[in-house]
Amino acid sequence: MATGTDQVVGLGLVAVSLIIFTYYTAWVILLPFIDSQHVIHKYFLPRAYAIAIPLAAGLLLLLFVGMFITYVVLKNQKVTKKSQ
Amino acid sequence: MTKLTQWLWALVLLGSAWAALTLGALELPPTCQEILWPLPTYLLVSAGCYALGTVGYRVATFHNCEDAARELQSQIQEARADLTRRGMRF
Repeated sequence: MATGTDQVVGLGLVAVSLIIFTYYTAWVILLPFIDSQHVIHKYFLPRAYAIAIPLAAGLLLLLFVGMFITYVVLKNQKVTKKSQ
Repeated sequence: MTKLTQWLWALVLLGSAWAALTLGALELPPTCQEILWPLPTYLLVSAGCYALGTVGYRVATFHNCEDAARELQSQIQEARADLTRRGMRF
């Protein structure tokens, strides 16, 4: 079996993914079937956020990936320029 | 047909079906309409969650081989010493 921190990180990732999945499934699929006066609607944001938040998160992810690639490319260029 | 064209074809078909249904091609009950329009985002999010969960699970259950690791490290030291002896700089 994997060592201590590896196990903790791995199980943490599994837990996070399960939490996100159940919350999002409840939000998108279960909530429309529940009567709008029920108290559970208090725990969920307005429905428009169900698209806005993943979209914003996806754009942020793309931004970070792009910045990382730019950084690596620039670092490589500087290294080749120095060795010339 | 290449894999890429297959995937693009499937995406175009499903996307146009979703667009047609969201814009009211068939008369669906309001709860169905309400579930339908976030559906692509929902599928993306659940695919992401599945990927994350699988990575986490595999990280947690990875079989660590202590002996193989130590043997590999000693072989790396050996190779390093040999190459420095032959004049290669690290």
